[in-house]
Amino acid sequence: MKHAQTAENEFHLPRLERQPFEPRALKSIVLSSITVAAAITACIPLFSVLIMLLYRGGKRLSLEVFYQLPPTAFETGGGFGNAIVGTLFMVGIAALISVPFGILAAIFLAELGPDSKVAITARFCAKIMTGLPSILAGVFAYAAVVVVFKTYSAWAGGIALSLLMIPVVLLTAEEAIKMVPRAMKEAAVGIGCTPAQAMVKVILPVALPGIITGVVLAVARAAGETAPLLFTALFSDYWLKAQEPTASLAVLIYNYSGMPFENQIELAWAASLVLVLMVFLLNIISRTLGGRKKI
Amino acid sequence: MKLAKTVRSLVLCSMCSFFAVSAMAATTVVGSGASFPAPIYTTWFKQFSRANKGVQINYQAKGSGAGIRDFIDHTVDFAASDAAMTEKQIAKVPEGVQLLPMTAGEIVLAYNLKGVKDLQLSREAYTGIFLGKIKKWNDPVLVKANPGVTMPDEEITVVSRADSSGTSYVFTQHLAAISPEFAKNPGYGKTVNWPSAIKMVKAPKNDGVTATIKQTPGAIGYIEYGYAKMTKQPMAKLENKAGKFVAPGLEGGQAALANAKLPENMIAWITDPAGDQSYPIATYTWMMFYKKYSDPAKAEILRNMVAYCLDHGQKIADKIGYIPLPANVVEKVRAASANIQ
Repeated sequence: MKHAQTAENEFHLPRLERQPFEPRALKSIVLSSITVAAAITACIPLFSVLIMLLYRGGKRLSLEVFYQLPPTAFETGGGFGNAIVGTLFMVGIAALISVPFGILAAIFLAELGPDSKVAITARFCAKIMTGLPSILAGVFAYAAVVVVFKTYSAWAGGIALSLLMIPVVLLTAEEAIKMVPRAMKEAAVGIGCTPAQAMVKVILPVALPGIITGVVLAVARAAGETAPLLFTALFSDYWLKAQEPTASLAVLIYNYSGMPFENQIELAWAASLVLVLMVFLLNIISRTLGGRKKI
Repeated sequence: MKLAKTVRSLVLCSMCSFFAVSAMAATTVVGSGASFPAPIYTTWFKQFSRANKGVQINYQAKGSGAGIRDFIDHTVDFAASDAAMTEKQIAKVPEGVQLLPMTAGEIVLAYNLKGVKDLQLSREAYTGIFLGKIKKWNDPVLVKANPGVTMPDEEITVVSRADSSGTSYVFTQHLAAISPEFAKNPGYGKTVNWPSAIKMVKAPKNDGVTATIKQTPGAIGYIEYGYAKMTKQPMAKLENKAGKFVAPGLEGGQAALANAKLPENMIAWITDPAGDQSYPIATYTWMMFYKKYSDPAKAEILRNMVAYCLDHGQKIADKIGYIPLPANVVEKVRAASANIQ
């Protein structure tokens, strides 16, 4: 017993087991709990929005909102079938323009001439474009398409949205292609692939999940945008006609949420819920599709 | 892989069907502009589209100013404005412009004040509020005009239009007509520089102003009668030129309209109607058409639409909160609509 005591005095051994009220441990506990709290706080806005949407929008959600046309000020009932179709159509046009465009440009930026002047300029422009206020995309499409063709149209809306999607698709696709291991590319060339074969058969399939994530991010952003559509697609109370003003969920929410009529406000809530669910569904689909392609 | 293929073919199929639908669909006529008559216009157009298979009229309320801009840019087939169009604006349209008054309405002062049911506003009171001189609901001027009502000690919040608006134009034109001080500063127009003394909130379109009044205790704002009626917002009785307090409604509106004579260009303003019964702020509201359309079918649809609004449309005007056009005006408009070719 006595021997042990002297040993302790000699070496001043700290206690090795964790002591909860020791300053070090205390600091660790406090700091970790702050990070946990911050992580939880970050979720609060999302969940409170979701709960509010489910509560207010869920009340009005029924089968008929999906196939009926928007009501006028005095009507009860009605729906926003045309706005769903319009949003899908315009986002579809935007994707048709921006996905091939963005991916081809990304191939050039990542593989063919990553350090060329063109690539450096394009990359710089794309990065600036990601921060482009969406309303400017609308103003651009208004001047370039609406005024020239003398009509508001779904095409103009799609073009405005594609402006917002291209930089997102381009930059994420470039990153995804760069992430493909060098060894894989070299192996492909080594077994006799031409550069084109290496690109199509090896590099793109491997990069696909990353590319798809970028496309989905871009689509989700485009689907929720109101500002570019206000000037280009306007709104419509009828079913889609691509060369005429076209309804979209985002503009419907914008228009109806400011109205003093109960029916329209309820529809705006329901439309918000539908829009969120659509983006959510798209996310899940693309994730499962993207996940399958892994080699 | 298989799944991806099915998805791809599904997407392709749906795309094809979209194009098919757009190819088959009916002729669409597009209009934009004033929010003041939007509830009645959209109701008319929906009924007209239902009655005429193969015709769709799509009207988007963006405010009179935006409608005029669209019309000058030729991005729409027709437009609507409560401020009509100026000579200068008309000169920018090479085909020529036919303005037609389609309905009329009253601008009411809707308010949100707990416990006050029948607010009466003398001319001094409501010009004072919009000049920023009267800032509290218990101001002596307001108390004097409302004997027997306890006015709360609350600040007045004025709700005005954020966008370029025909409703603002008509309202400020009236204020300028009855108050020399208002005529000098701020004057009248589709947008005005309101005196900075006013505690003011701005909102877009009649919809936005109505919604803001509804949500803001102590608020007062100017909107079309129908908006206040539909949303059950209380409206003030206003003192007219004859010194009588008149509530907005069909009778006061018709009496006010009787003061106007429509000249050749169909633009007439009723800035301060005479007569005991007249509600003081009433106005026609116009649709603008090109005199020459490249597609004669479109011109015919528009002429039919005008005829429909004159015949069937006027009958439902009162119910929705608008003033039916007097019979002599209906005939004048019918005759002028022949200019749309």
